[in-house]
Amino acid sequence: MEKKLNKLIEDMLSRLDGISNLNDLNLLKAEYLGKKSVFNDLMQELKEVPKEEKPRFGQMINEAKNRISDFLEEKKTALEKQLVANKLKDESIDVTLPGRKMNQGSKHLISQVIEEVEDIFLGLGYTVKEGPEVESDLYNFEMLNLPKDHPARDMQDSLYISEERLLRTHTSPVQVRSLLENTNQEPLKIICPGKVYRKDDDDQTHSHQFTQIEALVVDGKASLADLKGTLLFIAKKLFGDEREIRLRPSFFPFTEPSVEVDVSCYKCGGAGCSMCGNTGWIEILGAGMVNNNVLSAAGYDPEKFQGFALGMGVERIAILKYGIDDIRAFYTNDLRFNKQFRGK
Amino acid sequence: MKVSMNWLKEMVDIGDDYKLLETKFNLMSQEVESLYKLIDIDNLVIGHVKTCDKHPEADKLSVTTVDVGDEVLQIICGAPNIAEGQKVIVSKVGACLPGDFKIKKSKIRGIESNGMICSLEELGIKEFDSEETGIYVLGDDAETGQDPLKYLHLDDYVLDLDLTANRSDLLSMEGVAYDVACMLDKEYKPVQHQYETRREENTIKVFTDTKDCLAYYGQVIDNVKLGQSPYWLKSRLIAAGIRPISNVVDITNYVMLQYGQPLHAFDYDKIRTDRILVRHAKEDETLITLDGQTRKLLASDIVITDGKYPIALAGVMGGKETEVGEGTTKILLESAFFDPLCVRKTSKRLDLKSESSSRFEKGIDPGKIKKAMDFASELFIKLAGGEVVGEYSFFDTTQKEPSAVVLSLERLNQVTGREFTVGEVKSILKRLNFDNHVSGSDVFRIDVPTRRQNMFGYQDIIEEIVRISGYDKIPLTIPATPTFGYLTKTQQLRRTVRNYFVNNGFNETISYSLVNETQAIEFDQEKLSIVEIMNPLNKEKSILRHSLIPSLLDILQYNKSRKISDVFLFEIGRSYREEKEVEYLSGLITGVYQSNLWQGKKEIADFYLLKGIIEGMLLRLHIENYRIVKAEKPLSMMHPGMVADVFIGEEYLGYLGKLHPQKEMDMNLDKTFIFEFNFEILSSAYNDDLVMVEIPKFPSVSRDLAIIVDKDLTAEKIIDEVKLAGKKTLKNVEIFDIYSGQGIASDKKSIALSLTLQNVEKTLETKEVDTVVERIIKQLENTINAKLR
Repeated sequence: MEKKLNKLIEDMLSRLDGISNLNDLNLLKAEYLGKKSVFNDLMQELKEVPKEEKPRFGQMINEAKNRISDFLEEKKTALEKQLVANKLKDESIDVTLPGRKMNQGSKHLISQVIEEVEDIFLGLGYTVKEGPEVESDLYNFEMLNLPKDHPARDMQDSLYISEERLLRTHTSPVQVRSLLENTNQEPLKIICPGKVYRKDDDDQTHSHQFTQIEALVVDGKASLADLKGTLLFIAKKLFGDEREIRLRPSFFPFTEPSVEVDVSCYKCGGAGCSMCGNTGWIEILGAGMVNNNVLSAAGYDPEKFQGFALGMGVERIAILKYGIDDIRAFYTNDLRFNKQFRGK
Repeated sequence: MKVSMNWLKEMVDIGDDYKLLETKFNLMSQEVESLYKLIDIDNLVIGHVKTCDKHPEADKLSVTTVDVGDEVLQIICGAPNIAEGQKVIVSKVGACLPGDFKIKKSKIRGIESNGMICSLEELGIKEFDSEETGIYVLGDDAETGQDPLKYLHLDDYVLDLDLTANRSDLLSMEGVAYDVACMLDKEYKPVQHQYETRREENTIKVFTDTKDCLAYYGQVIDNVKLGQSPYWLKSRLIAAGIRPISNVVDITNYVMLQYGQPLHAFDYDKIRTDRILVRHAKEDETLITLDGQTRKLLASDIVITDGKYPIALAGVMGGKETEVGEGTTKILLESAFFDPLCVRKTSKRLDLKSESSSRFEKGIDPGKIKKAMDFASELFIKLAGGEVVGEYSFFDTTQKEPSAVVLSLERLNQVTGREFTVGEVKSILKRLNFDNHVSGSDVFRIDVPTRRQNMFGYQDIIEEIVRISGYDKIPLTIPATPTFGYLTKTQQLRRTVRNYFVNNGFNETISYSLVNETQAIEFDQEKLSIVEIMNPLNKEKSILRHSLIPSLLDILQYNKSRKISDVFLFEIGRSYREEKEVEYLSGLITGVYQSNLWQGKKEIADFYLLKGIIEGMLLRLHIENYRIVKAEKPLSMMHPGMVADVFIGEEYLGYLGKLHPQKEMDMNLDKTFIFEFNFEILSSAYNDDLVMVEIPKFPSVSRDLAIIVDKDLTAEKIIDEVKLAGKKTLKNVEIFDIYSGQGIASDKKSIALSLTLQNVEKTLETKEVDTVVERIIKQLENTINAKLR
């Protein structure tokens, strides 16, 4: 029996030497350790062995089986190692060859600025309001303290659809609509982004279509100081934490007092450079306290309500932030321009 | 408004720091457009021509020696009017004249020249004396060696103010003086004008029959000697940007600049009657204006008539017939108040904007109507030798009382958010020259003077107080009222969709809403109303677009012509109809989407790429009940065999497909695939109300199936049938191969399907799988005549 087993192991080992892949190894494993292996025959033989010899022979068979199993396992490990080594060798590549070219998507710069400004105001508790671009003269002008034939209308040459309808010249009519919709006269804090139109020939600094974002706060107590604080916050968010602002008197029919807002030059820090025309300041937007006539027209009692409004040109903000020198670039959509600004 | 510093200095003590004044204006009043030296030329000097001889080598040149005070220069001069003894303007070596003309030492035909004797034109102020020929000869009183600009009163600085519509008071030097005095906390004292009159009856009477002329003063001035104005007057007009013409015209302009009151001078002898009637024009009446144009008048125009015929367009332009000119000796001087709206309408309609009309439009100070006339009369006597004939004729019903405005300190502080005191406010009102008195403890009653025509209520007073006390003194706070900030579902969706396309390599565009007539309707699916601009900029931008596609195609064409051929665009924008505006999501794809050339990989835009991107978007938005089907009525601009309609439930979302080859050819485009969807329908289908679905615990089983069907049978039909028969157990079905050709009848195709089966409650047994697959095969055999391959 012992000889038989030794012979068995020797045979197996010599066959194992000739095996060079895992598949053959598995076949050999089946032959020796599978259901119909030689050990089955040996187990049959064991039945005929005298009773007192059985444990010894049984143990011998098991030991032989274990040894074979170990040899097989050892061989398997060796073969796998070889396989991995081959893979490492064969699969090495030139990592400097180019990767797959993916199209570089981009949000339009105007959308980016709108989203950025929206996020600033959302954080301050404002909601975003929208309205039609084809507006009535009533909402676009009259209810904003710009009666027909008022000289201030010259500030905004308009594109008319009819005597009474026009392309909105600012997003202020959305403010009017929001005031009117707010029938309970709850505190209102809104911003209105959108397209606006003026009768201007397109050139480097003019565009018949552009984008505005206006903000409006109407409650019982929003003050000029609140406006100033809000403006400083926005200027810092848009142009950097070190920025300062200053207000200068101006005129808009829908606000009184009205101001222009300058931000300290982000290029020279206020010392004066070509960017800011040596003044240290750059004009970024207009603002003011809501004119009582606007409140009254919308049915709000000026003795009980007050508030402020501000309005910025989205293109202007982008022009300043990104050093763009021609407003038409926003509407040409030359992809070599658009793709430069991939957004946050 | 261009403000002469020399002129202003006469009225207010402004010192010499004009830079400071500029800053004050910017921060407290009006934006300064620019601050500049009126004539910015150095090295000019008054020269005395000592000798003047013919140049030996050139007939037209003279060799002069000119005493310029500290030296005598030899200068070659080409002007025919040069002569010995003249006082002239000399540009010394080093001067730089307009047009970057540098004066250098030079030799002209062999003779040295050390400077140049100048004309006014060479100094850039031809308008100073329109009769000039050759060099400009100064008066004998000009002092040799001194600054000629000073002699001519041109040594001035100008502060150019960009006026806002509410500050018509600054359209006069007096208004500017009040404001400057207030800003600098100095004083401005108005002057009174006095003059002698000839004691006789005024020979003219003025009347009106319209309430649109509230005041009219007519003064006759006799023995006027038409001529040039003195240097100081001309210089001030030039500083203000007005061209000197003759003493009569110049005086009216000067007074207008001083007080903001436009004046007009008629040639008295050319007025056919002895009466002036101000009235509205009659329909179809005409008037030849000063510029020689025959103007057709409307009833809304106000005209000055001689009782019968118009002789001037009130506030806008005088009539040719009564124009002051050569031979004028007697004038009628007009100072009046015309309705701002009427003047505005007339000047707008006739496109006649003038210094006069713009002042009337913005509202003149009723307090200055007579004063301006007085000042002009004084100047006519002084500068034109005129004699004022008797008392003026006039009517005047303008409001001359100041208007009262009430403002409480409490209100002021509430609006500004700053703590003002009564004393502070009082001192600011004093600087503003606004009379006031305080009642109770803190209620101001403020008299707003008539010169501030554009102040109406307490908010205007607040503005005055804040600007003078300084915006920098306003504290920094933020609104205390708590509100919630959030985006609506649609607003959020816009961002989600934008991000989806950007992440898939698309570039967002924003294009003009105004397009031309063809583009506006080219991609319409049905007849829609168009919205047309009444006064368009041009034909290319005259109609509001229905579809974004034409704009996107233009952008594509633009980029393609610049060698950018792989283009993936999308835009969210509105479609405009008569009754409403609808938001669209549109886009196009063309060229290579992704590639790796050395690997031989290249994915080129085609219908199915676009379809996949669109389906990906719908899934991203959790929209599952959509259908993409062959378009029933494809647009004529689309390839009829490659266009699909997209429905969500029963609602039509839009279409996607290939542009018609003809259109591609017309626009010189490569294969282009486009889509246009109704964003509002997308938004209402957008499902953000999600509930977790249990992940199946039991494994799924895959089976492949190849069938032969009629060639024109759609994939959708096959899949529908498979789903119908597969019932609950069928989790997914996918087409993974389509084959026609060898071995398949020519009217048939082979389709390979991959089925995924799963039971959520237990592991599927082979028998169950077989049953379901059998059922599917049977269904396909029965309904679409499929044969198992």
